[in-house]
Amino acid sequence: MIGGGNAGLAAALTAGRLVGRVLLLDRGPAALRGGNTRHTRNIRCAHSWSDAYSPGTYLFAELWQDLCGVGTGPSNEKLAELTVRESEHVPAWMTGQGARWQPPLAGTLHLGRTNRFFLGGGKALVNTYHRALAQLGVTVRYGVTVLDLLMDGDRCTGVLTRDGGVPARAVVCASGGFEADIGWLRRYWGDAADNYLIRGSADNDGQVLAALYAHGAARAGQERGFHAVAIDARSPRFDGGIATRLDSIPFGIVVNRDGLRFYDEGEELWPKRYAIWGRNVAEQPGQIAYSLWDAKVRGLFLPPMYPPFSAGSVRELAVVLGLNPDTLAATVRSFNAAIQPGGRFDPGGLDTCATVGLSPAKSHWAQPLDTPPYYAVPLRPGITFTYLGVAVTEQARVLRTDGSVLRNVFAAGEIMSGNILSTGYLAGFGLTIGHVWGRIAGTEAARAR
Amino acid sequence: MLDELFTEAERQLNICNSCRYCEGYCAVFPALERRTLLAPGDITQLANLCHDCRACFHACMYAPPHEFAVDPPRILSAVRLASYDRYLPPVGWARPGWSRGWPARAAAAALVGLVLLVLVGATEGLGALGRRGGPYQVIPYPALLVIVLLPTAWSVAVMVRGFALYWRDVHGPLRGLADRRALGSALAAAARLRNMRGGGEECYAAGDDPSPARRRLHGAVAWGFAACFAATVAAAFLQDVLGSPPPYPLLSVPVILGTAGGLSMLAGCAGLIALKRDTGPPPAVADYGLLFGLGLLALTGLLTLLLRATPVFGLILVIHLATIVVCFAIAPYTRFVHAGYRFLALVADAIEQRPAGSVV
Repeated sequence: MIGGGNAGLAAALTAGRLVGRVLLLDRGPAALRGGNTRHTRNIRCAHSWSDAYSPGTYLFAELWQDLCGVGTGPSNEKLAELTVRESEHVPAWMTGQGARWQPPLAGTLHLGRTNRFFLGGGKALVNTYHRALAQLGVTVRYGVTVLDLLMDGDRCTGVLTRDGGVPARAVVCASGGFEADIGWLRRYWGDAADNYLIRGSADNDGQVLAALYAHGAARAGQERGFHAVAIDARSPRFDGGIATRLDSIPFGIVVNRDGLRFYDEGEELWPKRYAIWGRNVAEQPGQIAYSLWDAKVRGLFLPPMYPPFSAGSVRELAVVLGLNPDTLAATVRSFNAAIQPGGRFDPGGLDTCATVGLSPAKSHWAQPLDTPPYYAVPLRPGITFTYLGVAVTEQARVLRTDGSVLRNVFAAGEIMSGNILSTGYLAGFGLTIGHVWGRIAGTEAARAR
Repeated sequence: MLDELFTEAERQLNICNSCRYCEGYCAVFPALERRTLLAPGDITQLANLCHDCRACFHACMYAPPHEFAVDPPRILSAVRLASYDRYLPPVGWARPGWSRGWPARAAAAALVGLVLLVLVGATEGLGALGRRGGPYQVIPYPALLVIVLLPTAWSVAVMVRGFALYWRDVHGPLRGLADRRALGSALAAAARLRNMRGGGEECYAAGDDPSPARRRLHGAVAWGFAACFAATVAAAFLQDVLGSPPPYPLLSVPVILGTAGGLSMLAGCAGLIALKRDTGPPPAVADYGLLFGLGLLALTGLLTLLLRATPVFGLILVIHLATIVVCFAIAPYTRFVHAGYRFLALVADAIEQRPAGSVV
């Protein structure tokens, strides 16, 4: 099992129950084990039942519809459908490995029906899975970088690590996307990639993915496909995770470095729109934008990790941010003037506060920016993971460009998410893909001869 | 020093408040989410609400070696210890030097023992040490009462003063404390150590895997202490109301409660000391002080009972009394006070949680 995230762990836990010897390689040190799963928090699964942690029902058809509603829909409908169908069994399986759950609380209430929250988040889940692995007698090695697969025709005989070869009867590649390799991102995004921040592990450089391509694996997904959100521009280059995200966007306006608005900040409820803002910012000059709000809405959203910039007037704020004060003042003036009178502000739902005759419009929660102090946070695209990966069969077996398969090489998780996700993202679905395909890959790898 | 702790705690807690993954664990995180600004009083309250189970640390992707270096239990422990210190009287006569450090404490106990021996010699004569059965055959009742009540009154005064200062800082006027519902829910949370197993996950004191060991051992000490207290009250009742002086038979309420409580405390203290020794982080000396103190109280108390029919009874009694006097006198300067501060933190938290109290 190459990769210690949820997909690799699910594969190891599944295979460990079927065969005697399973080896899990995590590239990170023990203290940072779990790859990007460390930064996760919930999983989206269909359920016809309900309990304290998944109130109501979320049937196959609804999850399928939600998946079809993001971006340009699923890349491979057959595999996407399999993912949604199998998702129903995942929560019980996770509980069986020792996972604990928490009821949806204040900040997560709106997601409670569709997404199931594990107690303490992803690192706690990773710790739980490692306890289960230890009970199964699965060996785990940390700090191991896999450089290549050792191939004999369409059969893999082992992997080449930085410390030498490891023989294997079957290999599961669950090593994530390539988002941490800025050079690789630059191939599709040009110099803009230099301004992207990577929200997860700096180890996800796609080394195994590149090796699979070299051995003839077929591509799945789009080169520019990724899950990215707008995060605080002051975040670290790698591994900033959830704490760097911002929820201020629907409460004010967002301008680019020219001081101009460029997208409807109030298009939809935030949980349904947060995932498009990474791309929105990525498309702006210099890949930077600024979220602005005023004293009226302070405290209505989660506080940012880094204190916001503030000033007594819009012009002063522009100076602090290094923007043109005249342009920014004009943008705010025309925004304020375009707000339809008589709207009733309601942060809890799609309200009636909107602009008229403004382009781009702000469809909801449009209130004038008129109450000092004014606040701002600079935004950058924060990439969670890339979608471009390897094509797989329904058994998670890696497909080659000539239509044949690598007989005993399987893929699970972000490295094959391009089979399912095209451009958009559905909160909590990365874990669904990891678990469903990790279990399939683990089962099939255990059976491989 | 304290300012540095608050600054570091604020830095870490702001990261926690932006993340919120731990909100399913203990009361600290929902309490943090109710605050957008963290004044020193807020941080002090959160620190005392923390039961140091370390579940959040083990769940934290920002824990060292991550550059954010988040470790809430460690920084909150530091703030908590500093807060105990802060609510003590200023250094001087009200905070004597002998309350700190083992040699000074042992010397104080030896001195008290000596005073007791002089007292015995002056009243009953040193020959009284050889008597057996009841304490008053060795030391007259009024002398014993004064000897034990003096340090107790002193300690209660010092602790009540600290608790009042704490309440003022984290909550406000003292009359807010007269809240029956909040007191009830705080008692329930304290009795079950609910915050030591937040979200149903046990404490990590024993290492990388959750275990009920610390919660159970703490229960053994706390309930044992309560039983010994009840034994004292029962003995007082027998003596002063029913007019039946000690010694009491083995099958009497004071002896049964005292024996069970003493054994429970002794086992709990020994277990907790071993647990702390086994697991490195952070070996606060103050912790050991409380555990050794309570353990010694239990041990000398049990020996007093066990040896009451032997010639060494008088000597053991003097040792037990000297231990009581010193332990009671230094209680406010040890982590004994954690019980009071944590309880107040739970009361304040219960008041905060009510919709009526949730002023945005």
